[in-house]
Amino acid sequence: MKAEGDMPKMPQALKVVYSAFRMAMLHWIADPQWVIPNIIAPFVFTTVALTLFKGSTGPFGLYAILGGGIMGMWGNTLYSSGFAIEFEKWQGTLEEVMAAPSKLILVIAGRSASNAVFGLTNMAAVLLIAVLGFRVPLGIENPLLFIVALILTLLSLSALGLIFASAFVLSRSAQALTNGLETPLYIISGSMFPVALLPFWIHPAAYILGPTWGVDAIRLTASQEYASQTFWTGMGTNLAIILDLAVMVLITLAYVVIATVLFKMVEKRARIQGTLVEA
Amino acid sequence: MSRLRIFFSSAIFAFRAQFEWLNPTMWLTMKFVISLSQMAFFVFVGLFIKGPSAIPFIAIGNALQSVSWNTVFSIINITSNDKWGGTLSILLATPAGRLPIFIGRAMIHVLDGILSVTISLVFASLLFGVNFGQANALALTITVLLTAFTMTGYGLLIGGFSFYFRDPLIFANIFTFILLIFCGVNFPVQDLPQPVQAVSYAFPLTYGVEAARRAIDGGTLFDISGLLGSQLLVGLVSMMLGYFFFRSFERVARKTGRIEAV
Repeated sequence: MKAEGDMPKMPQALKVVYSAFRMAMLHWIADPQWVIPNIIAPFVFTTVALTLFKGSTGPFGLYAILGGGIMGMWGNTLYSSGFAIEFEKWQGTLEEVMAAPSKLILVIAGRSASNAVFGLTNMAAVLLIAVLGFRVPLGIENPLLFIVALILTLLSLSALGLIFASAFVLSRSAQALTNGLETPLYIISGSMFPVALLPFWIHPAAYILGPTWGVDAIRLTASQEYASQTFWTGMGTNLAIILDLAVMVLITLAYVVIATVLFKMVEKRARIQGTLVEA
Repeated sequence: MSRLRIFFSSAIFAFRAQFEWLNPTMWLTMKFVISLSQMAFFVFVGLFIKGPSAIPFIAIGNALQSVSWNTVFSIINITSNDKWGGTLSILLATPAGRLPIFIGRAMIHVLDGILSVTISLVFASLLFGVNFGQANALALTITVLLTAFTMTGYGLLIGGFSFYFRDPLIFANIFTFILLIFCGVNFPVQDLPQPVQAVSYAFPLTYGVEAARRAIDGGTLFDISGLLGSQLLVGLVSMMLGYFFFRSFERVARKTGRIEAV
């Protein structure tokens, strides 16, 4: 491990995020098999969708493989948020992390960011399996915007994960919550089918999820045949992508503000009640 | 009598152990959320790709598959909890008969699994419009009971095998999810590549899903008896293989002294 003096010069908050990021990376390298639970659901869901898609025509392949890839990122990010707290509990280090002067949200943000990076590898794995195993052509129409949309969606997923993480501090059922929330969020964000198929009363929930806009932007950057499924039907592709991304960035900033407030409240409550590890 | 007592105490303790990390309210919530969300996800994918005609097939398949969260995931998790909780060495030190311990610990999960399938079938009917008007209640009930029991055999097989590994939870994830691909849950087994189709019939769920669809279409117990017979056979063989793994692990663990971290 590097001594503190070896760390790159950066503001204190960034140092905390960086250290947590680095520590999570080291843990992952020490025990890489943990990637399997994160990727298995998206991989299976994509395989099922691609098998259903066999013999059909239309944009289904695009939905299936991009949706599967995004689910791969999403599963990893959500899992990491829930598990970041659980991991500290298992290792008996949560008390120390809470007692340290650094803010808990920064530690969790670092862990989430590292898992989001692994999420990208999950996406790559799902895409590779889909393209090689099912021979679905994946030509990216606008590679540069595709990468921008992908990274912003990843950040949005991480920020959303932070909101969940704050609740996970108080619950010993974080693992179960993570398992339980994964699929509903795949559904609501329209990861593998248009949001329009969902009952009308679910639509507001879909549109307050940053990833819903990100998924739309990613599909728009990937294929000219795809028409926006949000509010930008009929607009030019590039304009629709920019509007999707702008809405997602605003929602993501709101997530960060909400997560910061929630973490303060949850930390305070956990300290007063003394139920942190037993929670 | 002693073996029966061990059987029942194993059943109760193994089930209660999961509440170490899951409170009862969360357990009940998850039971509803996981059953509904998985079914809804695949129903919407099927609706998007194939249209409304795909809904009953997918909804019934996922309703039956919901049993695997209890009879596969939770049972493999018992092995995982034994390792993480440090109780495995105590378990292996007891003079109690191994067969009632091994099979008993899975038995409440059979009941839990039946509850999951029942909830899922209600979702299939109320939310996704699956028509149970023609269903043969007796055939469907027997199918659900037998599927829960035989899938427990499959859970015990993987759970027994997992004793040899440090992190059985990884196997729990893999072997629960792959059922969605192999067992005709969302598409017919015949849609899989030819060599893979044979693998499908190594899982008791494949027979259960097919039998349930036939029973809901009005098939009698006699009509599905062949499927149920094959399912029972596969389930019992799985259970025995799982027990074999458990005993052979115990021998290796005693010989090498490496119990938790094989």
